[in-house]
Amino acid sequence: MPKLSTTPTRRDLMVGSAALLAMPAVITNPARAATQLRVRTPGGSFDEIKRRTVYEPFLKETGIEIVPVPSTVGKLLAMYKAGQVEIDCIDTGNDANLMLEEAGALVPIDYGAFRYTKLEDIDPSLKLPYQVGSFVYAFVLCYRTDVFKPGSEPKSWSEFWDTQAFPGPRTLAGIESGAPNLEIALLADGVAMDKVYPVDIERALKSMGRIKPSVPKFWDTGALSAQMMADKEAVLGVLWNTRAQASIDGGAPLGIQWNQNQVLVQSYAIPKGAKVPEAALKFIDYSISEDVQKRWLAEYKAIPVNTKVYPHTSKLLLDPATGTPWTVSKGFRNDINWWSANRTKVSRAWSNWVL
Amino acid sequence: MGRDRTWLLLLPALGLLALLFLGPLAWFLARTLFVETAPAEVPDLFVDVLTARSMQIAALTTFWVSILVTLATLVIGYPIAFYLANRRGWRAALVVFCVIVPYFTSVIVRTYALTVVLGRSGLINELLGASGLIGAPLALLYNTFAIVVGMAYVLLPYMVLTLYATMKAIDPSLLRAGRALGASPLYLFRRVYFPLSVPGVVSGSLIVLILALGFFITPALMGGPGDVTVAMLIERAVEILIDWPSAAVMSVVLLTATLILFAVYARVTDLRRMMGA
Repeated sequence: MPKLSTTPTRRDLMVGSAALLAMPAVITNPARAATQLRVRTPGGSFDEIKRRTVYEPFLKETGIEIVPVPSTVGKLLAMYKAGQVEIDCIDTGNDANLMLEEAGALVPIDYGAFRYTKLEDIDPSLKLPYQVGSFVYAFVLCYRTDVFKPGSEPKSWSEFWDTQAFPGPRTLAGIESGAPNLEIALLADGVAMDKVYPVDIERALKSMGRIKPSVPKFWDTGALSAQMMADKEAVLGVLWNTRAQASIDGGAPLGIQWNQNQVLVQSYAIPKGAKVPEAALKFIDYSISEDVQKRWLAEYKAIPVNTKVYPHTSKLLLDPATGTPWTVSKGFRNDINWWSANRTKVSRAWSNWVL
Repeated sequence: MGRDRTWLLLLPALGLLALLFLGPLAWFLARTLFVETAPAEVPDLFVDVLTARSMQIAALTTFWVSILVTLATLVIGYPIAFYLANRRGWRAALVVFCVIVPYFTSVIVRTYALTVVLGRSGLINELLGASGLIGAPLALLYNTFAIVVGMAYVLLPYMVLTLYATMKAIDPSLLRAGRALGASPLYLFRRVYFPLSVPGVVSGSLIVLILALGFFITPALMGGPGDVTVAMLIERAVEILIDWPSAAVMSVVLLTATLILFAVYARVTDLRRMMGA
């Protein structure tokens, strides 16, 4: 057998990877802070924007350094069960935080200790005992502008379902994303936005069955949904508006139609066993305060939870007819409690339907 | 053997295995099946999970895909291994390089790279479209075909290297003798070379099959809506449904299937001979 030593690239590769592995440490640790706060975050461009607009100003203000850590609900739960919690603050979907709350893995939010945020400014439906909203976004109808000229795109979910008038492959959230687009399937079937819950699972899947032949893949992560639209694996999709907007900002030929949007919430929580819970609370308080939400959400295109910031929301997120965010004028709120109670049932029904 | 202490050299490896594999596995199974589930409910849990239609279909899909992948790596890998075993020089070195290098690259990176090649506006469809051979893009991605391509690509080195080890040990003088006695090349291959390479074919196939059974990333990224494997169901139970007892049961089933195949592998393959001892 020819000797491997004749292939020098292997060594180069290893040296190269070692250097790459060390890179994040170089970038994220410009100076050692007195306190480090380990926050579970979605990572990627989300953190890049938040570092400039929230983490670094917070470090200057308080001396507390934010260390973003990737994690899933499963991993957080495993940490909790093993009694070895390596995270001080959780920044994730409100449905995931509800799961952790129901597992007993969270501590209550002490709103009395808030100093930066005026509590009356926060949307009351997002100030919950164990979690507080950090921003609002939505499932929206996303389309390729090189296939459907803006103005001639589908304007409702029934039109999205009309594969004759609007041909081409589509992508929607599937079970692996945590919550498949059953509500949207019901809207396409003619159910009114305020009558979606409790979801008629059978009817929703029947409706979904009508569009399934045009769905090469249901997406599991927001990244995949954006990738499929950018690569033209799909010309229409149900996407998070934040992901769609990030792709548009990156130059992808995509458009957003806000009619019948499903409103979603990103939220903060503090896990049981956090090493510095006071610092976590301070960070939460700081990041939903008026000034910080204004600065951060001017760059990250999402709707603030601080109602004082509504007038400063990016124009892209405001309905010109009402001057309020599209989520207020044209949306309906995702019901995480329904999902929490029915996710297992949905998974079973989905498996029988998809196979 | 009595005073041979070389086995002590294995202690660090065994310690690592116990610490990083057996320990967490035992913790997870004990916790989910004996602490979080009442002992009386465990048999029912097994019945529930094993009789669920989704689990049965996923098990079939997993085996079917694994067998297809094994056959694909065998068909592609056999000629490569044959070439390597019978040639020297820079060409053989280049082939080894091409087989080995992907082995050192992350599975995720390789799988993403393949989605770029196979997609609707991917390399293959663009080339075929530009040459006028096809009107509409072919569905190469998000189906069983894509999974088999992706997994075969990842697992090919295991097949090639296993076959190579066996072929290298075949005595060339047997072939020379056959040729001197007037056997045609095809006859020689059929009656002499191939039968001697069968141990490599069997062990290579078992290795690939064992590894394919637990694959998660490739089927999850490259499969379509109906391509659900057992590993994907386990992930869903752990991450989405937070139903760890069911995940534990499915893991036990998958692990058992793997261990059975490994027992077969250990029986048909003399590991020490394969290492060249």
